[in-house]
Amino acid sequence: MRNRFYIMTLFIAGVVLLAFTLFAAYKEMNPEWKAYQKEYKELLVKGTRDEATKKKARELETNIQQLYLGGLKRIDRCTSCHVGIENPLMANAKVPYRQHSGDYLKKHPMSSFGCTVCHLGQGRATNKKEAHGLAHDTHWDYPVIPLKYIQSACVQCHDLDMLKQKGADKIVKGEQLLRENGCMGCHKLNNIGGVLGKALDIIGSQPRIYFPMGFVVGEKTPYSWIKQHFDDPRAIVPVSEMKVKVTEAEADLLTTYVASLRAEEMPKSYRRILETQKDGKTSEDGEALYKKYCIACHEKGKDSLFDEIFMHTIPAIVNPAFLKVVTNDYLKKVVEEGRAGTQMTAWKASAAGLSGQAIDNIVDYLTSKRPKEKAVPFNIVALKGDLKKGEELYKVRCALCHGANGKGELGINLRNPVVQGADITFLAMTVRDGREGTPMPSFGKNGVGLSDQDIVDTVSYVKTISKKK
Amino acid sequence: MKGAIKKRGNIIFSLMLLSLAFVAAVPEAEKAYGAVSAGDLGKRIYEERCMVCHGDKGDGKGLVGNGIMRWAEKSGRVLTVYARDFTTGAFRFRSTPTGCLPTDDDLVRIIDSGVPRSFMPPHKELPIEEKKAVKEYIKTFSPRWKEDEPCKVIAVKKPGYVGSASSVEKGKKIYKEMKCWECHGDDGKGKGPKSDKLKDDWGKQILPFNFISGQLKRGSSPENVYITFTTGLDGTGMPSYEDSLKEDERWHLVSYTLKLMGLVK
Repeated sequence: MRNRFYIMTLFIAGVVLLAFTLFAAYKEMNPEWKAYQKEYKELLVKGTRDEATKKKARELETNIQQLYLGGLKRIDRCTSCHVGIENPLMANAKVPYRQHSGDYLKKHPMSSFGCTVCHLGQGRATNKKEAHGLAHDTHWDYPVIPLKYIQSACVQCHDLDMLKQKGADKIVKGEQLLRENGCMGCHKLNNIGGVLGKALDIIGSQPRIYFPMGFVVGEKTPYSWIKQHFDDPRAIVPVSEMKVKVTEAEADLLTTYVASLRAEEMPKSYRRILETQKDGKTSEDGEALYKKYCIACHEKGKDSLFDEIFMHTIPAIVNPAFLKVVTNDYLKKVVEEGRAGTQMTAWKASAAGLSGQAIDNIVDYLTSKRPKEKAVPFNIVALKGDLKKGEELYKVRCALCHGANGKGELGINLRNPVVQGADITFLAMTVRDGREGTPMPSFGKNGVGLSDQDIVDTVSYVKTISKKK
Repeated sequence: MKGAIKKRGNIIFSLMLLSLAFVAAVPEAEKAYGAVSAGDLGKRIYEERCMVCHGDKGDGKGLVGNGIMRWAEKSGRVLTVYARDFTTGAFRFRSTPTGCLPTDDDLVRIIDSGVPRSFMPPHKELPIEEKKAVKEYIKTFSPRWKEDEPCKVIAVKKPGYVGSASSVEKGKKIYKEMKCWECHGDDGKGKGPKSDKLKDDWGKQILPFNFISGQLKRGSSPENVYITFTTGLDGTGMPSYEDSLKEDERWHLVSYTLKLMGLVK
C-alpha cells in the first residue's frame, strides 16, 4: 500500500518535471524574434512579384541579428525583431517590420551607429519586454525613450545651432525654455545655479531609483516622472517647492531637453560639436542672466507676490519706488550674499557660482529701469532717533505686517542681516515713501502723515530689533 | 540695629522711587490713551491700524493701494487680495441670513482673529473695549446700519452623523446635484468650468475655494462650513443654500467637504 503511494508520487513529480522541461525547451526554441522573422519573410514573399526577390527572401536565414558597435561599446540586437528597418519595401508595413522613418539612417548608418545610441533600451536583450525595459521588473535603468522626446538624443553629438538649422526644434525650444524660465535659480547646471533644487547636470543618466515613482501615473519611467513633475510638481513630490508656469506642450519640450542632460560622453569621432562652442564662455547680458536665474521667483519684478509655498513675500526688485532709493552697491551685496532664512541664494562665485562680472551685469540690468527723477533726500544726520518712541510707533504702525518681533508675517523679515545691514537713510526713505506695487504704504507727509522725526525714531528701533527676542 | 535702619531706609527709598515712577508714568499714559469717548477711540484706532488698507472713508481704497497684494497659491493660481469695502454694508462672514448685516459679535470676531489667507491680521493684543470701539466706528461707514433691522442669528448644532461614511456619500451626491463642481471643480480644487469667469460685487476677479489647500477664511471647523452654506458669502459668487437645501442635507454636504479637505476618511 505504502509502496504504491511513493511510486505514484514519484510518477506525478516526474510527469510535472518533464512537462516543465518540455515547455522550457519549446519556449527556448521559439523565441519572439523567430516568429517575427518568419512573418517578415512571408510579407516579403507576398509583397513582390519579382521571382528573384522572392527567391532571395525565401533563402533568408532565421537568426538573431546583432550589430557590434565597437566605437560605442554597444551591442544591439534590436534588428532581430525590427527586421525591415533598412528595407525600403517595408516603408508602409506595421511595426516592427516597418522601415525607419525619415532619412536618418543615411547619415547615421546602422553598421556604425546601431539603435540604442538614440533610442536607448537594452540592446542585448532578445525579447520585447527586456529590450524596451519599460516595466519596473526588467531592472534596466534606461528604458526605450518615447518618440516625442527622441530629440534629446541628437544633442549628444550635435550642437544646438546646427540642430536649429536642421529642424530639431523640440530640443532647441526646450533649451530656450529652461534658460528663460529661471530654472537655474534653484537648480545647478554646469556648477552655476541655486541650491534649492537638485543639480540638473546628469539627470538624464540617473538610474530609475533616483526618481520616486510612487505617484507617477502610467509607465514608471524617468521620462514619465520628469513630464508629470513639470505638469504638477506637488502631485509627484508632495513637499516640492518647485514653481512651474508652463503649458503641457512646453512641459514636453522641457522634458526633451532635461532628458538630454546625460553623464556619458560620446566618442570624439561621433561628435559634431564645433570646438569654438565648447569653451563655455558665452558673454550673456543682464537680461539673459535675469531670465536664467531670477525670473522664476521674482517674475517681472514690478509687483511683490506673497507665495504660499515659501510662506513669505517675494520682493519686487524692478519696482521704480525701490530702484529710486536703492544703491547699486547695496543691490550687489544682496545678490552676492543672498538673504539668509529665505529662498534667496547667495550668488557669489564661492556659493551659487556667478562671477562678479555676471552679478554686475544683473545689477546693471535692474538699475537700467531706474526712473529719471530722484527721490527727495532724507537728511538723517540732523535727527537723532529716540528708541523708546520708535518702539511705540513700531508696535502700532509696523507690527501688524512685520510682526511684534520683526520676524515678518505678511511683510518681510526685518531681523534679517540684509535689512539690518542696510543703510539707515535707505530704510528711512523706504518708510517715508513706501513702495508702489507692494503693500508697503508711504508713512511720510504724503501718506500716513508721520514726521521725519517719527520715521527716524522708528527706523532706529528697527535697527535694534534683531537683538530683541 | 544700624543695619535694620539702613534696610528700612532702603525700602522707604525704593517705595518713594516707585511712586515717583508711577506719577511720572500716568501723564504719559494719558497722553497716549487719553480719556476719550468711545467714538473718538474707535476713530483713532481705525486711523492707526485699519486706514492703511481700508481707507479713510472705509471704501477699501487705502494708502496701500487698491488691491493690497498678489497671492500665489500652491496650485499656481495667482489672485489679488482687496481690502473690504465697508460702505456697501455687504459682509461675508456673518451668522445672519443672506442679505442681512452681521451681528456685532461677528465683526469683533474678525477684528480679533483676522482672516487667514487674506492679509487681515489678527488683533489679539488689543483690549476688548478698543475692538468694540473700532467695530462701532466701522458701522458709521454704511447707512445700512441705521436703516436695516437687525436679523436673527442662525443657530448651529452639529448632528452626530457628520463625517460618517454614509453622510459623506450623501454629501457627494448633493455636491453633484447642486452643481458645486461648476465652480469648485469635481476634485474640489477650485478649477471648475465656471471658475475663470467669476467676479465679485465690485467687479473684481474672484477664485472659488480650493478645498485641498485646507484653511477656510472663516475657519475650518464643520460648524463654520455649515454656516457658510446657510448664510452664503455676500458679495461673492457663493450663494446661501438656506432655502434650497434642508438642514440635514447641508450637514451631509459639510461631511463631503471635510472629506475633500482630508479631515475625514
